[in-house]
Amino acid sequence: MRWGRAALLGLAALGVASGAAAAPFEDPAARTRVTTLENGLTILTLEDHTTPVVSLQIWARVGSGDEARFTGLAHLFEHMMFRGSAHLAKEVHSRLIEERGGQINAYTSRDETVYFTDITTEHLPLVIALEAERLANLDVSEESLADERQVVIEERRFRTEDSPEGRLFEALMATSFQAHPYRVPTIGWKSDLEKMSVAECRAFFDEYYAANNLVVSVAGDFDSEEVLALLAHQLGGLRRAEHIERNPTEEPEQSGERRAVVHFEVAGPIVAMAWHAPATGHADGDALDVASEILSSGRTSRLYRALVYDRPVALGASGGYWALARAGLFFAFAQVRPGASASEAESLLTREIERLRSEPVTEAEIEKAKRVLEVGLIVGQGSSHALASRIAEEWIAFGRVRPLEERLAAIRAVDVAAVQRVAQRWLAPTGRSVVQLLPPGEEGPR
Amino acid sequence: MRCVLALALVLGATGCAGAWPFTSPEWEKPPPLPVDAAVVQPGRLQRADLPNGVRVLVLEDRRLPAFTLGVVIARGAGVEATSEAGVASYTAELMERGAGARTALELAGVVDALGASLEVSASWDSISAQVAGLSQDRDVLFDLLADVVLRPRFDADEAERVRAESLAALRQAADDPGTLLSWSFAKALYAGHRYGLPESGTEETVARLGAASARAFHRRVFVPGAAIVFASGDVDPALLLERIRATYGAWQGSPPPDVGAAPKAPQQRRIVVVDRPDLGQAQIGVGHGGIPRSDPRRLAVQLLNSALGGGGFSSRLMARIRSEEGLTYGISSQFVQRHRAGPFAVFTFTRVPKVGEVITGILEELERIRREPPTAEELARVQSQRSGQFALALETSSEVAAALVDLEVYRLPRDSLDSYRGRVRAVTALQTAAVAQDLIDPARASIVVVGPAELLRPQLDPFGAVEVVQP
Repeated sequence: MRWGRAALLGLAALGVASGAAAAPFEDPAARTRVTTLENGLTILTLEDHTTPVVSLQIWARVGSGDEARFTGLAHLFEHMMFRGSAHLAKEVHSRLIEERGGQINAYTSRDETVYFTDITTEHLPLVIALEAERLANLDVSEESLADERQVVIEERRFRTEDSPEGRLFEALMATSFQAHPYRVPTIGWKSDLEKMSVAECRAFFDEYYAANNLVVSVAGDFDSEEVLALLAHQLGGLRRAEHIERNPTEEPEQSGERRAVVHFEVAGPIVAMAWHAPATGHADGDALDVASEILSSGRTSRLYRALVYDRPVALGASGGYWALARAGLFFAFAQVRPGASASEAESLLTREIERLRSEPVTEAEIEKAKRVLEVGLIVGQGSSHALASRIAEEWIAFGRVRPLEERLAAIRAVDVAAVQRVAQRWLAPTGRSVVQLLPPGEEGPR
Repeated sequence: MRCVLALALVLGATGCAGAWPFTSPEWEKPPPLPVDAAVVQPGRLQRADLPNGVRVLVLEDRRLPAFTLGVVIARGAGVEATSEAGVASYTAELMERGAGARTALELAGVVDALGASLEVSASWDSISAQVAGLSQDRDVLFDLLADVVLRPRFDADEAERVRAESLAALRQAADDPGTLLSWSFAKALYAGHRYGLPESGTEETVARLGAASARAFHRRVFVPGAAIVFASGDVDPALLLERIRATYGAWQGSPPPDVGAAPKAPQQRRIVVVDRPDLGQAQIGVGHGGIPRSDPRRLAVQLLNSALGGGGFSSRLMARIRSEEGLTYGISSQFVQRHRAGPFAVFTFTRVPKVGEVITGILEELERIRREPPTAEELARVQSQRSGQFALALETSSEVAAALVDLEVYRLPRDSLDSYRGRVRAVTALQTAAVAQDLIDPARASIVVVGPAELLRPQLDPFGAVEVVQP
C-alpha cells in the first residue's frame, strides 16, 4: 500500500454523486522510468511490489503493415521466435517459462509484434536471459519453418477460414482499404504462407529486430537497478539499424460506398460497416470514442435499443473506433438473429449512424459515455501485464507515457458539438464499406 | 555472444561483466525455490457467517477507487431437471431485466449512467450476481444489487423477450464448430443426465420457459443457505459488513436443493461424427467420465493432467501433436470438476485429412501416461508449474476474492489457498501413477468429431463403430 492512499482520503466523504467524475488518484504509470541504451534499445520499468509477480514484454515496431512481398511474414516470424536458438532447442524457451508457472505468448498486429512473459518475480533473470538468447542467436532452419508453417496454416483455418467472424473481418478490411497495407490479414494469405522461405525470415529479422526498433517494458515486483543492469548486460550488445524500411503506401480518399458479400454456413447473418477514421493520437479520437460508447455501451445504448430491444432484429449490435498507427476505422456491426433480415439490420445501423450526424446527442448520453470511458481507464490498471502493455503502447505511439489525468481530461472535454462534428466529418455514407455475411444462396442487396 | 562481449567493455566497472558465458546460463541453473507468501495479507480479509447461513467475505484493497460486490449462489444448472434445462441461465438473464421499483431499462439506465456494470450469470455449479464500479457509487450499487438478488421482477414482457433472444442465441451458437463439439461431446457421454445437455439448455427446453419458471427457480435456489456475499476493492470493511448484515441477515428461505444425482458415463467407446460438410478443419474431442470437485485425489489429478495436456508446451500432448508433428494450433486436456463428476476430455482441431492421425496420437498418449506415468523429474516440473500459475492467477484482489468464493461454493477448507503450494509439493509420483491407472482409460474413451462425415468416416472406422449425426 505504498501509493494511492493519500489521494483517496477524500473519497469517503463524497457519498453518491451520479455522473460526477471520479475522484483523483495516483496514476501507477506515472512512476515509469525510461532508459535508453547506447544501441538505441528503450527500456521502460515500472515497479509495483503489491504481489510477487512481474510482466516483461518486448515490443518490436513491426507488424503486418510493414510486409512488402509475403503476407503473414511478421506473424509467421513471431512463431519462429519460439523455435530454437544456438543454445536452446525448439520450444524449450516456452517450456522453461511454463514449468515455472509463467505465462508466455506473443501476438502480432498491423503495427507491432509483442512478446510477453508473466511470471513470479524470482524467475525474472531467466526471462531476461532467454530473451537475450533468442534475440542474439535465433536459429531459423528449413525444418522448423516447415513445421511452424503448418501450425500457422491451422491457426488460419481456426481463426479465419472456418470462422464466420474471421471471414467477415478479412473481407471488411480488404474492402475498406484498397491500397494501404492494412488491407492484408495479419495472419497472411494461405498461398503466401505456403511459399515463405527461410531467407525471407532471416532478412525480416535482420531488418526489423534491431535494438533501436525494440522496446522492453517491465512492470511489477522487481528492483529497477538490478533489472536495468541485467538488461543492459544482456541486450546492450544487440545490433543497431541505421535505417528501417517502412511501407510508404497510404490509402487514397474513398469517394463512394463499397459493398461485398461473403457466403458462409451460418444460421444468423452478420452485417458490418466501416468508415475511414484517423490514426492514433488524432485530435478527433476522443470524440470518436465517446460516439462509440453512445452507440454501444450497455442496454441504454442506441444500437442495442434500435436493433435488439425495440425491434428484435439482432442478438447484438455495436460500433467502435479502432485507431492504428497509420490509419483508423470506425465500425458498426450487427449479429442478425436467425430468420431475421440482414437488410433490415443494415438499414437500422445506417439510420443510427445518420442520426449521430444529423441531430445532437443528449447531455445525458454524453455524460454516460464519458463516465464509461473514465471507469474503463481507471479499472484497467489492475495487473502487471496491463501496466506493462499500457506503458509500451503509449511509448511507441506518443514517445511518452501519457498521464491518466491527461487522458481523463481529454475525454471530459468532449461535448455535444464535438460528437456531431466528428460524426459528420468521418461517418459520411460515401466513405463507408459494407460487408454482409450470409448463408449460401442468400443474395445481398444490389 | 556479441552482446555479452561488447557489454563486458561497457559495464566493466559495474561488476556485471564476465558473469556469463563463463558461468552457466540462467536456464541451466536449478530454479529458485518458490516463495510461500501468504495469499491474503493479514488484516485485509474480513469474514462473517450470518445466523441464516449467508457467508460473507470482504477483501479490502484501496489502490484504485473502484470495487466489486456480489452474491454467489452455490447452485447452478446442475440442479435443473433435464426437462427445464437452461432455466438457471434464463433466470439469471431475467434478473438483469428489472428489479425492485425499476423496469429493465430503468435498471440499465442507473448502471450505465455510473459507468458501472451489473452481471448475473449462471454456470453448472453456481449463479453469480455482481456489480462493479467506482467506489463513490457504492451505496447506489449496493441497493441495486440487493434489489436484483432479493426482489427481481420477472416481468412478463421481458420474460418473452429473453426467451426469444435465448432461442436465437442457441441457433446462432450452433454455427460455431467448437461450440457444436462441446455440446455433442457432452451428449455422447451423458445422454439422459443434465450434464448431457448444453448449460444454457436446448431449443426444446428453452421454448417452454417463461416468467413463472424463472420465479420458481429463483425461489428454489436463491436461499440464504446457498449464498455467499463478497466484496473486493476500495471498501470500508466494517461499514460494509454492517450493511450486508442489515440487508441479507433477515433473508429467509428453504434449505438449498440437493446438487443432483451423479452421472454415469458410458463404459464402452462411442464414436460420433457431427456432419458439417463445409468445414476444412475438424474439431475433435476424446474422453470419458472424470471426478467431482470434492474428490480427495484432485491435486494429484491436476498434476497428472498438467503433464499430459494441461500444461501448455510442457505437456506431452502439445509436445507431440503441435511441436513435433505440426498437426494443430492447440491441444489440451482437462478434468472438468463440478459438484458431480464432469468429463475428462482432450480437445483439439486439425485439417480434415489428418483427423485419424491425431486421434491415434491422442489415444497413444493416454495409454502411455498409464504405462509410463510422470517421472519424478516430470512431476517436479509440473509441481513448480502449478505453484507458479497459482501465484500468477491471484495477482489482483478481484482474482483472490473469486478464488475464496469458489472455495465456499464447494465447501472446501477456507485455508486452501494458503496451504495450496505445500499440498502440491506433497503429491508423490506414486499418487500420480495411481490416478493415471484409475482415471484414464483410452479403451473406453469416446471420440466425437465435427466435420465432413464423408471424409471422416474412413479415418474413424478403425477405432470402432461410427455414428453420424446432423448438427
